Amino acid sequence: MLELKGVSGGYGAANVLADVSLSVGKGESVALLGPNGAGKSTLMAAITGTLVRRGGGILLEGRDLAPLASHDIVDAGVALVPEGRQIFAPMSVRDNLRLGAIRLGARPGHSLEERYAFVFELFPRLKERAGQRGGTLSGGEQQMLAIGRALMSAPRLLLLDEPFLGLAPLIVVEIRRALAALQESGLTILLVEQKIDVALAMTRRAYVMIKGRIALHEESGALARRGDLANLYFALAAKAE
Amino acid sequence: MSDILELLVSAASSGCIYGLVALSYLVMIRPTGIINFAVGEWAAVGLFAAFFLLTNRWLPLPYALALIAAVAFTGLIGWGTQRIAVRPLVEKGAPILGPILALLGMLAIFRESISLIFGPDPHNLPAPFGLRQVSLGPFAGTPRDFFIIGCTAAVFVGVWLFFERTVWGKAFEAVALNRKAAALMGINLRRVTVAAFVGGAAIAGFAGVLYSLTAPRDFLMGLPLAVQGFSALVVGGVGRVEGAILGGMILALAEQLTARYADQIGIPSGMSLGVPFLLMIVFLLARPTGLLRPKEAAA
Repeated sequence: MLELKGVSGGYGAANVLADVSLSVGKGESVALLGPNGAGKSTLMAAITGTLVRRGGGILLEGRDLAPLASHDIVDAGVALVPEGRQIFAPMSVRDNLRLGAIRLGARPGHSLEERYAFVFELFPRLKERAGQRGGTLSGGEQQMLAIGRALMSAPRLLLLDEPFLGLAPLIVVEIRRALAALQESGLTILLVEQKIDVALAMTRRAYVMIKGRIALHEESGALARRGDLANLYFALAAKAE
Repeated sequence: MSDILELLVSAASSGCIYGLVALSYLVMIRPTGIINFAVGEWAAVGLFAAFFLLTNRWLPLPYALALIAAVAFTGLIGWGTQRIAVRPLVEKGAPILGPILALLGMLAIFRESISLIFGPDPHNLPAPFGLRQVSLGPFAGTPRDFFIIGCTAAVFVGVWLFFERTVWGKAFEAVALNRKAAALMGINLRRVTVAAFVGGAAIAGFAGVLYSLTAPRDFLMGLPLAVQGFSALVVGGVGRVEGAILGGMILALAEQLTARYADQIGIPSGMSLGVPFLLMIVFLLARPTGLLRPKEAAA
C-alpha cells in the first residue's frame, strides 16, 4: 500500500533522511524503530508533506504523494498521530475531532456522525468528555484524542509517532487494545516507536532506522527472539560507522 | 449628565471604527502571525472606492449597493496584496519580517495611488440619514453614530459566530494554535491565508467607509487609523474577537475625554493625538497580552 523509494530530505540545509526505502502492505502493521534522532519523525513529516523532500518517491497504492500538499495527502487517505499529541488544547474534545474530519468530504461512504460514533466506541472516555477542553484531559486521554482525531478522516493508512511516550502502563494497555481493534478491522498501520518490545508485539515486520538510514528489516517475531535485542541500536550504530 | 451621555455615544462611534480596524489586524495575525500595517490604506481604498461608486457621473450606484461593492473591492485588493506581497515570501520560507516589510511597501503604493487618482483634497461620503440629533433612551447622538454602532455590532457578531460556531472558524483557530497540526488535519494553509487577507481587507474597507461618515478624509488618513487600530488591538488583546472592540472603545473614550477635559487641568487638548501611543506603551509594558487573554493562554 505504502512504498518509499530512496527518500531523502531534511530541515534547512541539513539532510536527515538518506535513501530511505520501505514498504507497508495493505492491512499490515509495520514498526519503524530507532533511537532518538534516527530520523523516524522526520520520515513521518516527509510522508505527510510537512517536510520538503529532496529526492525519492513516496507511493500510496501507486500514487506519488511527493508533490502533494499536506491537505491533499489527507484526502488520499493518510493520517498521522504526531509525536507529542499536538491536540488543540483550548478547544473541546468534540471540536478537536471535528477538525480531524475537515476533509471527510474527500472520503466517500463516510459521514461525520458515523466517524464520531466510530471514535466514541473505540474510546468511550472521549464521549464522556466531549464538551471538555482538550488541554484539561489527562495525558492518556489526550493521546486517545490525538488518535481519535486522526481516525475522524477515515484514513486508509494510519501513521502513529510514539503513541505510548510518557503514558502510564494501564493507559498503554487501553490504547494497545484500541489499536488491536483497528488492526482487526483491516486498517494499515505504520508505528514509529522507541520501545522495541511494545512495537514488536503489535506488528508483523519491523524496520530499524539509524542515522537517517534503514539499518535493518526483519520479521517482528524473529527480531524479538534476537539475543542482542537490548543492545540492538548500539550494535547497528556501531556497524553503520 | 446629558453631556457625558452624548460623549459616550460619540466615543462609542469612534471606538467602533478603531475596533473594526483592530479586528482587521486580528483576522490576519491569528492564522499567519503577520502584522499588516497597510490596513489603514485598505480603509482608505474602501472609502475612496465608495466615494467613486456613489458620485461618478457614468453609473452612480444606490447607497447600500455602493457600500457593499466598495467593501467587496477592498476584499479583492486584499487578495491581490497577499498574492503579491505575502505568498511568494511565505512559500520561500522567508522570516515573518519579510511579508511585514513587503506590506509596508504596499502601504506606500496604495497611498500614492489614491493621491494620484483622487488628489490631495479631503472627501467624505454623504450622510445617509442627515445630521439631526436623535435620542435612544438616555443616549443622544446623530443617526450616523447609531448607524456606525449598529453596523459594527453586526460585523462583530458575524465574525464571532464564524470563529465560534463554524468548522472553518475553528480551522482558523487551529492554524493560529499549531500550523503543523492544522496541516496534518487537512486544513489548507494557503486557503486560510487567502481568506484571512480577503476578510481582513473587507473589514478594513468597511471601517474606512464608516470613518468617512464622521468627517472628510484625505489620502493620508490611513496611517493614523492604522496606529489607532493597532493600539486598540494591543489594549484589548490579540487573541480574542471581543478584545478588538473592547480595545477600540477604551481608546476612543480615552481620546475623547482627553480632548474634552484635559485643558481644564492644564494639559493641551491636542494631547489626545498621543493617547493611542501612550496606551500602547503602557499595555505593552504592563500587560502585553491585552485585557482579554487569548484562549490558548487560558487553557
